[in-house]
Amino acid sequence: MTAGAAEIRPAGDDHLVETHQTGMPTVMVGMLLFIASEVMFFGGLFATYFNARASVAPEPWEPPPGGELDMALAGVLTAILISSSFTMQFGVWAIRRGDTGKLKMWTGITLVLGLLFLAGQLYDYSQLGFGIADGIFGTVFYTLTGFHGAHVFGGAVGLTIILARAMQGQFSGRNHVAVEAVSIYWHFVDVVWIAVFSTIYLLR
Amino acid sequence: MSDTAFGFILLGVAMVVVLGIVFAITTRSGPRPRPPSGVHLPPPSYLPVILSIGAAIMGLGLVFKPDDQFANLFLLIPGLLVFIGGCAAWVRAANHEWRDTEHGDGGH
Repeated sequence: MTAGAAEIRPAGDDHLVETHQTGMPTVMVGMLLFIASEVMFFGGLFATYFNARASVAPEPWEPPPGGELDMALAGVLTAILISSSFTMQFGVWAIRRGDTGKLKMWTGITLVLGLLFLAGQLYDYSQLGFGIADGIFGTVFYTLTGFHGAHVFGGAVGLTIILARAMQGQFSGRNHVAVEAVSIYWHFVDVVWIAVFSTIYLLR
Repeated sequence: MSDTAFGFILLGVAMVVVLGIVFAITTRSGPRPRPPSGVHLPPPSYLPVILSIGAAIMGLGLVFKPDDQFANLFLLIPGLLVFIGGCAAWVRAANHEWRDTEHGDGGH
């Protein structure tokens, strides 16, 4: 058997019995499949971005008149999100050692960093000077960064659940697959932001 | 403060409230129940389709709108209701399914 699924009895038995876990836990397989679908989802969004950008050439690709991207703020937000990946991983390493106290601490810090990122993004939106309906640039900018922000919020929900469960003592050195799954998702969201930042802010 | 900034502040507050609710529900639930043994497959259901229809109607409400409004409320609100109703029905169905499986009433 693969993927930690339960062993299935041969034909003739009318029920299924779980005997032992082997291979990768089912939760991890599910998370990896989910992330694979998310890669395709964001792939579509990036394709839309580049298609829109190519369609306006040779006109310059820039925000609508009166609007401007805040490179400095975006840089700070990038640093915050990358830092949060490190703190998340510190939490994973802590629970692998069975240190639940450190797991709570690092998960809490990661959650705060994630919320800081979201607050910074909302502040950025309020200061940009253009909206989603202001030309093709505004549309693809808000679509790409907005969907990423929604994913960060989803990660924050996952981190909140991990923190709450950790506070109830539901994780141990041997039982922490949910922490690993959420950490993979959080790293994925981080990597996507690096791609978003590079595409929108660096490839001008 | 502009309406846009106020809207984003409201969105931020809503996010924090949702996280607080998630935290409260998770800490209140006590020890997590173990899933039933064996491989369990969910039964066929129309609810994912209903959820998608609700989301699509909401999307139409955001697209086909008067120029001076954020959305077409005659599409957005029914879509939202279908979406929320679909979510609630799906959660209920999953709970029933869990109980049926626990009590050995089939569903495998």
